[in-house]
Amino acid sequence: MKILVPVKQVEILDEDFDVQDDGRSIDPDCIEFELNEWDDYSWETALQLMEKHEGTVEAVPMTVGDESADDGLRKCLAKGGERAIRVWDDSVAGSDPIAIARLIAAAAKKEDAQLVLAGTQSTDQAHGQTGIAVAALLGWPHVAVVSALDYSAADGKLTVRRELEGGVEEEIEVALPAVLTIQLGINEPRYASLRGIKQAKTKTVDLLSPADLGVSTDQLGETGSAARVRRMYIPERSKAELITGTPPEQVKRLIEIVNELKGA
Amino acid sequence: MMIDGNHNPEDVTRVLFESFPGWAVGVFYVVGFGAIAVFLYGCFVQYRKYARGQSLRKVLPPLKDRLLQMVVSVGTHRTLRRRDRSAGYAHALIFFGFALLFIGTATITLEYDILAPLIGLKFWHGNFYLLFSLALDLAGLWLVAGLVYMMARRGWLKPPKLNYARPDRAADAPDANRSFYQFEDWAFLCLLIIIGITGFVLEGARLLWLQNTPTVWDYRWWSPVGAVVANALSLVGFTPEGAGSLRISIWWFHAIISLTFIALIPYSKAKHIFTAMSSLALRDPLPVQKLPPVDMSADTVGASKITDFNWKQLLNFDACTKCGRCHEACPANASGAPLSPRDLILTLRELAENTLEGIRQPEPEKLIAQGNGVFQVPTETLWACRTCAACVEICPVGIEHVPVIVEMRRALVEQGDMDPLVQKALQNIQKRGNSFGETKKKRPAWTKKLDFEIKDARTEAVDVLWFVGDFASFDPRYQRVSMDFARILKAANIDFGILYEDESNSGNDVRRVGEEGLYQHLAESNIALLNDCDFKRVVTTDPHSFNTIKNEYPEFGGNYDVEHASAFLARLLDEERIPLKKGLDGRRVTFHDPCHLGRYNKGYDGPRDAIRKLGADLVEMKRCRDNSFCCGAGGGRIWTPDPVGKEKPSENRVREAATIEGLETIVVSCPKCMNMLEDARKTTNNEDNFEIREVVELIAECLDDSAISVVAQEHVAEPA
Repeated sequence: MKILVPVKQVEILDEDFDVQDDGRSIDPDCIEFELNEWDDYSWETALQLMEKHEGTVEAVPMTVGDESADDGLRKCLAKGGERAIRVWDDSVAGSDPIAIARLIAAAAKKEDAQLVLAGTQSTDQAHGQTGIAVAALLGWPHVAVVSALDYSAADGKLTVRRELEGGVEEEIEVALPAVLTIQLGINEPRYASLRGIKQAKTKTVDLLSPADLGVSTDQLGETGSAARVRRMYIPERSKAELITGTPPEQVKRLIEIVNELKGA
Repeated sequence: MMIDGNHNPEDVTRVLFESFPGWAVGVFYVVGFGAIAVFLYGCFVQYRKYARGQSLRKVLPPLKDRLLQMVVSVGTHRTLRRRDRSAGYAHALIFFGFALLFIGTATITLEYDILAPLIGLKFWHGNFYLLFSLALDLAGLWLVAGLVYMMARRGWLKPPKLNYARPDRAADAPDANRSFYQFEDWAFLCLLIIIGITGFVLEGARLLWLQNTPTVWDYRWWSPVGAVVANALSLVGFTPEGAGSLRISIWWFHAIISLTFIALIPYSKAKHIFTAMSSLALRDPLPVQKLPPVDMSADTVGASKITDFNWKQLLNFDACTKCGRCHEACPANASGAPLSPRDLILTLRELAENTLEGIRQPEPEKLIAQGNGVFQVPTETLWACRTCAACVEICPVGIEHVPVIVEMRRALVEQGDMDPLVQKALQNIQKRGNSFGETKKKRPAWTKKLDFEIKDARTEAVDVLWFVGDFASFDPRYQRVSMDFARILKAANIDFGILYEDESNSGNDVRRVGEEGLYQHLAESNIALLNDCDFKRVVTTDPHSFNTIKNEYPEFGGNYDVEHASAFLARLLDEERIPLKKGLDGRRVTFHDPCHLGRYNKGYDGPRDAIRKLGADLVEMKRCRDNSFCCGAGGGRIWTPDPVGKEKPSENRVREAATIEGLETIVVSCPKCMNMLEDARKTTNNEDNFEIREVVELIAECLDDSAISVVAQEHVAEPA
């Protein structure tokens, strides 16, 4: 069985950051990238399956992104796995989650994967759509927000658990092929040592273009996306102040604030 | 034998095989050679076990230095007397008694079996014999006296450190019970004391039996104990003939039991005679300060199997005599963590005994050293270590526990197996060069609160390059100390600078966690930066950074003159270069030695000199200097909270200090100790009783900083 694990390098903002002049994105100088937290868990899930069913299960991380996204794949490969896939060309820029899902679904077909393990959501955009969209595009069953998983190689079935409201758990049996989105806490992701990350540089990252996957450019980028970002802004912050001092001082400050708010 | 009153004193000699028929002597030799063969085979098995370990990667000092050091240690028993004087002296009695008796017996063998038959040389007579006889009698007495004390110690005094209950096993674990070691301890003592006592009875019986032989009887008081026994035997009614037959049976009993002992040496705790001395002769002067190097291009890193340890470590495991000094000194053990250095070493010894003593080595799965099975070390045990080196420092036989733990941690790091919080800290360091996860830009933020600017050592030449370190840069409490240190240096007119945004975590704790790849990356980037700067010396308030820069950076090409702030400031105070406006007026303080400054680098006196110079009344805690009790923050433990509900090492320490009457201040000299003890002061409800202050802060409190204000004004007045 081959498992495809789509991962994403997410944006981490500096404490002080600026919105770009176009009003639709953040100044890249204020951004650092790191692997999406959920993807640490989905990749760990894949690795554990691979280790438990040694020789019969192969896990391949993939990402959609430019060269800088390789770091995320290296971090995955530092922990295990032999090869990774990165999909990119300029036509991909500006894609929404559905357009990204088209590339992942196409890669799953090309790789003949039977299982796609995506993170439930990303820390930066938090759409929570990509994994589910992949299932829809492939016509495969999906289970979202999975908190436990067991795979039986004998009958090729997955038994997964989800946590519901009020402390109820739900157990679902899924036939392969399938798409799961993985929730935080399903396991304890291992650490990628710096030595491992360096050694992972010798592992293969296959660079594919949308054309290689048979996805046409009109299904990608802003043209291929149903949603586009109109505006990105920092909402005005409400203020709070702890008034200290003697009671007369506190009253004085309180009157000042009231007057300020009245615009006096 | 003829009675001859005019014998020649030179004829006085050791009675050997007297009246033994030839076949009996023959039987003795067969048994003797048999015992030696069993002994030699046992030695070979041990040798083969050690040979299955890795070769040493670390270069040790020249052999002659190490041998000298071993001979002095054994000769003076200095390591054995520490923190247990009576056991040390009792051991000295046993050791020197045993050694003399062995030399005596070996000398007889040398004459009787080798020199006399080969070249006819005999020296075992006359005054030489008599003196030897006296010396060996006394040696036997020492041996028995030492053994009697040791038996009393085990049987009645029962020091807690000799209890083999394991903190690293659940009570129902199959290998939880180590009481079989107690059986071995007693068997060892009993065997030796029986050998000693039967030796004296034998001597007495022989004397009585030969009471008509003047060359024996007239000289009996040269064997005083034997003579007393002979008199006693006579008193209880033994005739010379009766003594003669007693002598025969005791002779055989003594011979068989002595030969049994020799045969058993390599198979029992008696092997420490050899392994402890070898272990001492292999001592590394910087076992913890400078951790063993790693071949980063190898297939695996660290030790996950017993065969991943080097032969010296396998020998170390066999050197342990379970004296319990490490068990008693370990802060993790004291705070209820599942770690006892003694039990860790014994577990690995047992694993080696059970896998590496056979003709063939078992399959690799059986060699795995880390895990929750029998003869395995659990991960929690490995992560509980503070790398404070208290165990290594006190071990009387030179076992180096901490590098063993770090090697096993290296393997765990490689497998990615560690506490999520340690992972987070390491990821922060990977990404941002500091464990706080702050951006590089924020590292020098604390300097903005000063009313003067610190020189940028990256662009300007300075005398003193101050390596600030993570905690001193980011920890809000310690930032105050950093500011004070800057003010003191300024007031003392020291030309100093810092590395601002470009400094990275020094890597000391990263290396002790076992993340060698990240450590080397940090060391290399700091060294590249430092090598581009122009300075005379590196000074730091952080003992952890101090240690790795001083002891480990040279391996990666960073050779600097490094000084810890406490020593540097003590020197400045001594030279009266720091302007002071007042003293501390007999303030009652105690000093908590940081492991990385004290035990690691023998920096015991710098902080104390400074404290005394300021006029404080320094009262020592019971555990001070080399026996200082770790605050609990070392070895990466600063990044993981200690379990709730158990006393933390820091709380244990603060409570110890609290017993000092009228204590006003616990003085520390390390950012991590500051952090831990400040917390513990609160959790032990001592907030109103005393404060935690840095040596630096005490100096700053007395500082006459009017000079700085002037400088600061000048600075403001200068055009930008």
